Amino acid sequence: MGSVAPTYIPRRAPEQVMRLSRLGSLHQCRLSFMRVLTRRMARDGWTFTRPVFAIDDKGVGHAVYTAQGPERAYSLVAFAHDLPPEMRSDRVIATAWDTTFTLFDGVPTEQDIERLSRNVPLQEAGRVSEREISVSRANRSVRLWAHFVDTLASGRQPDQDRIDAVGYLMRTTAVYGSGKLGAADREVIADREELQVPFQAEMLSVYLTRTFVRDLVEHMARVKGGDQAVRLDPAIARQLGIGNSTGLGMAPFIINHPILFNNWIMAREEAIARVRSHQTATQAEVDIFRAILKRSAVSIARWQSQHPIQIEKLAHLTSDMRALEAHVQQEALLLDYPWDRLVRWSETALSEEGQELVASLILEPYADEVDGLASCMADSNSDAFVIDGAMQIKEVRALIEDRFGWALSLDWEAPEHCARAWYVSEEKLEPRMGERFEEPIAEYEQPLAPARDAAAAHRALADQGDDRPIAEFLLRHPEHRHTIRRLQMSRIAPYSEVQDNTISATVLPIDMLRAKLSFFGATHFDPRSDRWVRICMYAGAPYPEDLTTENADLWVYPEGTG
Amino acid sequence: MNLSLNEMEATAKRATRGGLYSWGLAEDAAKATRWLCARGLDGGAVLAALLQQEFAASLHDHTPQSLDGPWRCETTLCPLIAGVTLSDCAGRLVQGPIEMRQLAQPLLILPFAAQVARRLERPVTVTSGSWAAVTDGTALSMPQEAPDHAEHLRIELGGALLQLRPHHTRATPAPETHALLSRFAHLTYAPATEESRLLGAGAGLSDND
Repeated sequence: MGSVAPTYIPRRAPEQVMRLSRLGSLHQCRLSFMRVLTRRMARDGWTFTRPVFAIDDKGVGHAVYTAQGPERAYSLVAFAHDLPPEMRSDRVIATAWDTTFTLFDGVPTEQDIERLSRNVPLQEAGRVSEREISVSRANRSVRLWAHFVDTLASGRQPDQDRIDAVGYLMRTTAVYGSGKLGAADREVIADREELQVPFQAEMLSVYLTRTFVRDLVEHMARVKGGDQAVRLDPAIARQLGIGNSTGLGMAPFIINHPILFNNWIMAREEAIARVRSHQTATQAEVDIFRAILKRSAVSIARWQSQHPIQIEKLAHLTSDMRALEAHVQQEALLLDYPWDRLVRWSETALSEEGQELVASLILEPYADEVDGLASCMADSNSDAFVIDGAMQIKEVRALIEDRFGWALSLDWEAPEHCARAWYVSEEKLEPRMGERFEEPIAEYEQPLAPARDAAAAHRALADQGDDRPIAEFLLRHPEHRHTIRRLQMSRIAPYSEVQDNTISATVLPIDMLRAKLSFFGATHFDPRSDRWVRICMYAGAPYPEDLTTENADLWVYPEGTG
Repeated sequence: MNLSLNEMEATAKRATRGGLYSWGLAEDAAKATRWLCARGLDGGAVLAALLQQEFAASLHDHTPQSLDGPWRCETTLCPLIAGVTLSDCAGRLVQGPIEMRQLAQPLLILPFAAQVARRLERPVTVTSGSWAAVTDGTALSMPQEAPDHAEHLRIELGGALLQLRPHHTRATPAPETHALLSRFAHLTYAPATEESRLLGAGAGLSDND
């Protein structure tokens, strides 16, 4: 480890980090929830079994995968269905899927499975209990699935090109946790060490789902090919991830959970600041960085997208990679404050995609200083919700000016600045975004424009007495209550607010989706429109039977030359 | 019905908004409902009863006219606006008790009294006639069921926590209560149109690929 620097490089400012275009350029890093999970499971010697695999020749049935940790076990209960193609939809409004899942708290009995078999396949139309932690579903990638079954059944391995073009055999289209559909609340599991970091149960569910999908495709190939069928080459299996389609409904998450999202961003920013503060880097640290950079380039070369926005971003990222590789070959990393220099260089030489890649990659050599920050990423501060009514009007005004200064001069009546409105639709109760001036949605608007609302509160506070407590104002103006709450939260959560207009004519919800999914550890973001995105999870990860402390962390970076 | 507390909170928030309260008050109402349910009380029913009283359309008439002296208005006080104001003004309780007159659904005051107790790190006692409840913010002692209206309500610091209510991790509203809250919640949903189905979620591509 390099010596600790006498100069501490501060965390980057929220005004820089919390812009939507930058949030929409974030990449996975050491703090990503998938990597936190696989590191923990390997370190703590988790064991994995498949006590049930009752799938028939049509591919219908159920299976159970149990992950046993030091103190508790968790089981993925998987249901496989025979889905007609016309019913296959990634949309949240779908009513049937190729496979459905729940993560059970412990090891389910036959009675549990019977109960779950009547509910889990129905997803939103079913109910689960406090014994279940998540509910999810996945659909096949039709072309790749058929190709895998056909080739394995005839004794051959699938074509590499076709694998590269998709990357996964199934994609999840929703993974519900935190009490949804009747499952256990976050509070029920939050104190368990293995689930303290956010989304660990959901990530475990997806990890086990990937294993089930591999087993299922081999099963179907055996059914079809009989003795002729071969098992999937483990090297190919390992390249496969689990896809995921994430739609607009998840975009408001980062606005609806200001403290939680702050904690994610702040942990990463703190990690970046710590690494930038190193006065020197050892040759070993530089070697790790260079090796990871090389592997990262392989991943980026495999990243495909059809969407014009992402195609352009990938073109920039590809040229960024060339510039970055050339830059770090010039021994630049052996000068003083090498990581700070690199970050500052990236801000002048690379696109936001490239800058954020650098910010994530410099964390790799410093596991000891970075990985522990994952324990700061949960939100356990429920008291932050409570408004301090004694705060003086002048303090509130100053807080608004500090957090949303840029928003105060914007003309919020101008159509381009308020063109969109977020609302919840009657069917499926999912958040959507519409055109305020073209659809009858304004009266159903959700409070997802904190900047506009802060500007409105600032105007309303203009003629209030400086020294009066905000409680008096809120008594007469409860319409500003959610805004004042958020502002007060921002005092302890500097990265809680997106520093952009979330209802402008040009807002891209995919930026919000990517910000969240990057913290899961997703790669290969592939927007399908401005409001939904496909991603890949766990590609390259060892399967449970192969998981070791040696391969539990860096699997996200492919080895080889791509 | 057996709901997770998150489901109860989400339903309560939408229902309160559907009942024409502001988003901020809806957030407070939802947390308050959850707090009651976590102590085995029927938070959903008391919220549903409040929403049926339809105070929100003319909330000003149900808001304390002054915070000096007993909190009162011309008609019935809304426990949501009174409750959040109690929480916002936690420090006032150090000077002495706060009294309220003609308060609807006084059970809904308890979660806000609990916020005061946590902030001041002292137990808070709420009494109305023979009904009394004590909370330190987390634990709740309430031997008798709450009335649905309090002519006089008194909130003060201090009190002994006896016979604590057990902690609950689920909400179990009656089906009628849930239906009522869902009906209010429904008022926050925009009617679906075919256009919004496609545009609003940005889909329209085939997923059979």
